[in-house]
Amino acid sequence: MKRLLSVALGVLTAIGGFVDIGDLVTNALVGARFGLSLAWVVVVGVLGIIVFAEMSGRVAAITGRATFDLVRERLGPRAGLLNLAGSMAVTGLTFVAEIGGVALALELVSSVNYLLLVPFTGLAVWLVLWRVRFSLLENVFGLLGLALLVFAVAVWRLGPDWSSLLDQATHPSVPGSEGVPTYWYYAVALFGAAMTPYEVFFFSSGGVEEKWTEKDLGTSRLNVFVGFPLGGLLSFAIAISAALVLLPAGIEVDTLGQVGLPVSEAVGRVGIAIALLGFFAATFGAACETGLSVGYSVSQYFGWQWGKYVRPREAALFHVVLLLSTIAGVATLLTTVDPIKVTEYSVVFSAVALPLTYFPILVVANDPDYMGEKVNGRLANGLGQVYLVLVTLAALAAIPLMLLTKAGQ
Amino acid sequence: MSRRRNEPGGPGGRAGATAGGRRMDAALRLLDHQLVDRDGRLCGKVDDLELERRDDGTLVVTAILTGPGALGPRLPGVLGRATVAVWRRLHGDAEPGASRIPFERVAEIDSAVRLTMSRAEVPTHGLERWARENVVEKLPGAGRAPE
Repeated sequence: MKRLLSVALGVLTAIGGFVDIGDLVTNALVGARFGLSLAWVVVVGVLGIIVFAEMSGRVAAITGRATFDLVRERLGPRAGLLNLAGSMAVTGLTFVAEIGGVALALELVSSVNYLLLVPFTGLAVWLVLWRVRFSLLENVFGLLGLALLVFAVAVWRLGPDWSSLLDQATHPSVPGSEGVPTYWYYAVALFGAAMTPYEVFFFSSGGVEEKWTEKDLGTSRLNVFVGFPLGGLLSFAIAISAALVLLPAGIEVDTLGQVGLPVSEAVGRVGIAIALLGFFAATFGAACETGLSVGYSVSQYFGWQWGKYVRPREAALFHVVLLLSTIAGVATLLTTVDPIKVTEYSVVFSAVALPLTYFPILVVANDPDYMGEKVNGRLANGLGQVYLVLVTLAALAAIPLMLLTKAGQ
Repeated sequence: MSRRRNEPGGPGGRAGATAGGRRMDAALRLLDHQLVDRDGRLCGKVDDLELERRDDGTLVVTAILTGPGALGPRLPGVLGRATVAVWRRLHGDAEPGASRIPFERVAEIDSAVRLTMSRAEVPTHGLERWARENVVEKLPGAGRAPE
């Protein structure tokens, strides 16, 4: 019974923790502009993160090595350092976006300008990174993130014509008002939002934090195979609700409040209160995850002691990195840069950075000296190679599409 | 070791070396791997290797080199030179050599390289100690386990 509960808890937190500011903004934005014609990208992206996370989780459980350990081992110090710089630039950008997202969610609750809330948000995030146990962090924000289910309730209350929605999703076409390059630009953005690299840094390092062994493989796979697709359904619900309410009204999403509009329309005041709780939990949880990912990755490259399973004084350089990146994140937001714009760029650059970490993980997951009997099977390798092509294409296309479409205008 | 990779060694021109009596592809199985101390704490990377050529022509790993003094020369251009320069400036000795861990102190090699010493004895522990004493321990709660 206790085991069942802990498995259920893992799956629930995987669902609630799946969505972050990138998913919230990108799905609503795309739903409001393209209806469901890009829904297929969410499916491709969620399957991709499942393949990627399962592989990195398996490597972490069998070898006890997290992502940037492998990057350093396989690419050496030079290419590894370039990889670290690229991946951390993107993860740092995501970290800024998440802290900004928390402040925007609090602004919607309190009507206090978000810039005044940024320093307090930064302090709160740092305190959690400094003092709170890993599992507590994961469970609390994962469970609270389930509040975003209110988007599914909203879709149900809006009573859409399901067959026409299904038809839109299965027969994608570029809407008349949008150009073809813009369509593909947002396809790359959605793909990047679903497959954000920090999720893999966090997932594999988390496996090492929680001292996974071969015995935990089943649980970890269950979280990925059940939790992630259901988390992906939350992304869908956000996109559908935007397609149903914002698209017909001609509203384009450029604030966090607009993401929640369909909920207030369909479920009313209680609904929007629940949605705000969901925004807060999703962004705060992801802010902690991205911040930790920066500390994890830098420490893993240099070989420093990292992790929250030891006292802070035992992992001093790791905690210095956490402190400095939180300060840098807050400082960036205080330049009054728009957090929603930061989010939009962060998901596109995520797509650019994906092959950097994807490739080393795929190589190690195939190394029998490392993995013993747990090397990639035929399915994992088949999918792994298809996705290697996909992430490379998305990475190559991202910047040209961004320039061509003036970032999706 | 990257500088010596072109020497005739193991198959494919890579430095196949004998380490602790075991023959292995040292570039793949040792270089850039994690160092773990006897208490399971992480304490740096195998940043470079010290090799010795025996009379019969085989290469033997005699020591693990770790820390900025070993990593710097493997980084490109200005970045590499700057790493070494900063490390020299901060180091006490006038002409410091890269921090060296004799291969006899290696207990086991799996996905990490496990040592028979504690991490306080690893010569590069200085930076971590500096950060602990000057930053982390000044903050409340540094010595308590997370809650």
